[in-house]
Amino acid sequence: MNRRRVTVVAAAVGVVAGATGLGLLAMPAGAGPAPVLPDVSAEALVESVLNAKPAAFGGTVDVDNDLGIPAIAGVPQLSDGASNLRIWTDGTGKLRVQLPGGDSERTFVDDGRTAWLWDSADQTVTKLPHGSFERAEPDLGGEPKAAPTDPVTLSRQVVAAIQQYSDVTVDGTARVANRPVYELVLTPKPTEKTVLREVRVAVDSELRVPLRVAVLTNGTDAPAAQVGFSELTVGPQDASLFAFAPPAGAKVTEPEVGEPSAEDKAAAEKVFTEANPQVIGEGWDVVLAARVPRDALAGLAEAQQRGQREGRWSDRGQDADVDVQGLVKQLGKPVSGAWGSGTLITTRVGGVLIADDGRVAAGAVPEQVLVDAIGQVK
Amino acid sequence: MSALVATRAPLGRQLRSELRWILRRPRTVIGLASLCLVPVLAGIGLWFAVDGDGPAGPGLAAIIAGNGLVLPVFTLMLALPLLLPLVGAIWAADGLAGEAQHGTLRGLMISPVGRLRLLGIKAFGVATMTLFAVTLIAFVGAITGVVLFGGEGMLTLSGSTLPIGAALGRIVLTILLVTVQVWGVAAIAMAISACTEHPLVVMAATMAGVIVFAVLGIFSALDWLHPYLITSAWDGLIDVMRDPLPTEALWRGTALAGCYILIGMSLAAMRLATKDN
Amino acid sequence: MTTSTSARVEPATAGSTPVLAARTRGLRKVYGRTVAVDRVDLDVPRGAVLGMLGPNGSGKTTTIRMLLGLVRPTEGEVELLGKALPDGVAQALPHVGALVEGPGFHPFLSGRENLRRAAAFEPLLATGDIKQAVEDALERVGLAAAAHRRYRGYSLGMKQRLGLASALLVKRKLIVLDEPTNGLDPAGTREVRKVIADLHEAGSTVVVSSHLLSEIEATCTHVAVLHRGTVVAQGELAELLHADSSSLLVVTPDVDEALNALRAGRISARPIEGGVRVELIGTTAPVVVQALVNAGVAVHEARRHRTGLEDLFARLTEAEESEHNLSAVDTIEEGAR
Repeated sequence: MNRRRVTVVAAAVGVVAGATGLGLLAMPAGAGPAPVLPDVSAEALVESVLNAKPAAFGGTVDVDNDLGIPAIAGVPQLSDGASNLRIWTDGTGKLRVQLPGGDSERTFVDDGRTAWLWDSADQTVTKLPHGSFERAEPDLGGEPKAAPTDPVTLSRQVVAAIQQYSDVTVDGTARVANRPVYELVLTPKPTEKTVLREVRVAVDSELRVPLRVAVLTNGTDAPAAQVGFSELTVGPQDASLFAFAPPAGAKVTEPEVGEPSAEDKAAAEKVFTEANPQVIGEGWDVVLAARVPRDALAGLAEAQQRGQREGRWSDRGQDADVDVQGLVKQLGKPVSGAWGSGTLITTRVGGVLIADDGRVAAGAVPEQVLVDAIGQVK
Repeated sequence: MSALVATRAPLGRQLRSELRWILRRPRTVIGLASLCLVPVLAGIGLWFAVDGDGPAGPGLAAIIAGNGLVLPVFTLMLALPLLLPLVGAIWAADGLAGEAQHGTLRGLMISPVGRLRLLGIKAFGVATMTLFAVTLIAFVGAITGVVLFGGEGMLTLSGSTLPIGAALGRIVLTILLVTVQVWGVAAIAMAISACTEHPLVVMAATMAGVIVFAVLGIFSALDWLHPYLITSAWDGLIDVMRDPLPTEALWRGTALAGCYILIGMSLAAMRLATKDN
Repeated sequence: MTTSTSARVEPATAGSTPVLAARTRGLRKVYGRTVAVDRVDLDVPRGAVLGMLGPNGSGKTTTIRMLLGLVRPTEGEVELLGKALPDGVAQALPHVGALVEGPGFHPFLSGRENLRRAAAFEPLLATGDIKQAVEDALERVGLAAAAHRRYRGYSLGMKQRLGLASALLVKRKLIVLDEPTNGLDPAGTREVRKVIADLHEAGSTVVVSSHLLSEIEATCTHVAVLHRGTVVAQGELAELLHADSSSLLVVTPDVDEALNALRAGRISARPIEGGVRVELIGTTAPVVVQALVNAGVAVHEARRHRTGLEDLFARLTEAEESEHNLSAVDTIEEGAR
């Protein structure tokens, strides 16, 4: 072999190595061989999950959606496609969540006394002292019936409730974020009418917390949605992560509590009463139904047009910049029947039926079930 | 005559000569000078934008107010998609195709310079100049940023403020990451450069490739292709402005560029070793 | 006609074959479907000034490029300063200076800077000696006054001289000059000839290619004639010319008788105006004259026909495929070995 040939061969090896490297980089991270873990029954696994103590950890969560829902500007984590978020907690309630979005980022920090929400896109900080925003939330009613305080009993009840509608199995082991997990699979009983095929929950073998949840629908192998850790460090996290000081130059807003909150609350409760939300069906086929006041959508659209006229709306954040009515019409298909007429939006994991008179029904069920449900809306 | 021994000119002398040659070229000087203008113009533009209501722009521009050390990172992100690949392609084009066009490549080979060594010298020249150009932009950007916007630290996208030391560390990290990406493009340009005698062909082909890659990156129907495109790693470099620093995308992007460098240099070596001059 | 006045070929030191500065055997280069060079067996004796003569496109430059390891032969071998290429490139090429296919320099650098850059890549130049070597080379080609000017502004002749200067940066064992006087005015041409003569005097081997016969005749000790990609004749210039001049012009009124007489003596001859032309192949002038006189032919005058290189070249390259020429070439080549 002369030198020229050696060079050519070496260079060819280099090209192949580079191409192989590209291929390896393009491949999703290899899962590696399934770990060998002691057998565990599905019931025991579910119970242990329900009883798991919160632990300190930090990690990255990959979100992979293929739901067929529209993109929500600025929040890729809720839109179709792959995205990620980063989360840290000290296990005692302090929390930091970062939502990277394109070239901006939203950061949520709860330092135990105050929660902060930072949005780099408009350099704003929203300050939410503890004890303020919980009260501002409308009372959604339907308090759980005298829940037993004993966690073991509670979890047993939950397992029983799940098993009433689902087959719960442990489908071997796997690795998620390089940690050994049990694959817990919840499959709807054959009598269920849901469009979902199964829900797979990867449970950490040690911490007994879910590390990955995947929703699979009928007819496809790829999950319609999957949320799971791609990287996880368990253990005490740097305390500075849970502190937040608003940067100089940022606008800090604090939603006022007290006087206006009572009004808000009243308004919210009024809306809530008018809407009369109800749950129809049970198990996997549960359909949430409500009656949206007729003028609500129109009002929203008006507000938007007003904002556009004043030229300020778009400054308030991109996600508000949505033509709601137009969007509904655009996404759905018109349907009608004995119940009336409206628009049906279907996704891979279920659908939403919006009747022209304001009734709304949503669930992880086929169209017919939604139609049945909307007929029952009072 | 059998007493002839193989001799080579000292490598250091050859590398110095190569750099000197690049720096003496008028277009290099003009190019570097215009690169210096980028952060200045970007800074002035943002300075006017900051005066208005609301954020100065999307992305990094939104946090520029009072945060001058973001300007070098902002400018590098601005220059990475087009300007820096162009600069890298020009140097790679002049390195082999330009020398062939002037007939000087032949002279070097007769000197003799081994063909692989010649490629090494050329790669060194392009790599060093790229690093220099990127550092220059960052340096001018940092000065301009601090003058126009001030800044004792660096506000990250995540809302935390880094102290000056860590801020400079982030700028250096950005310089290195961006440089490696430009190296990836320049390596491919070098492979093209080894195949032609027309520097313009190299520049046009490289820039066309970068633009086509960027366009391919837009179509979500081609998302199976995206992980292979070097341009797809560029948006992710903004991770340097997040805190804590997420390293995964940065490593991935750097490894991707590394694969491009390996492929480009291998192709160039293959072509150069078999080329008739 | 300055044939062998300055011929100073070193005597063979080992064996009977002269030591060769460069040698090719069975050289062949094919570009696509074009055969650029075929079956080139070139010998460049050490110390010689070899002129490669051939019309444009005859394969001179391709041969030179193969000789310097720039182009890889499709077939055949090249030996440069005793080293087989391509492996011996690193050993041989530092001792070889070359100007191939015109001067190649960067237009934006001055002549001096261009030479400095070339010098930086010369293995035999110590870093400390570069400055002096550059100045010396500039001086030698008469460019010292224009050295600070940009190459872009050089005239064709100045460019050519700078190319020559870069070949002369180091004391070379072999110097290859491809069309060195291209674009030079008569004064420049004279200077180049002087440089070549000096190199020759200093013991370097020089290979000069040219399509100009006067050029070769004026400077070379050896010549190789290329035509259509192959060497049709090579050897010492004096021998070649002598071999070619081996025809005798006989002025006689009895052309037919003369031809008959010579044919009877198996001497090849053809009629020309006012006499016959006799090829002195396998015979000598006295034999021819004797034969004619014996046959009673009136020989008014008999003289050697000295053609010069131009005739030789024209005959070798134009009247191809003629038996006569082929045999002449064979003879010449035998004589050259």
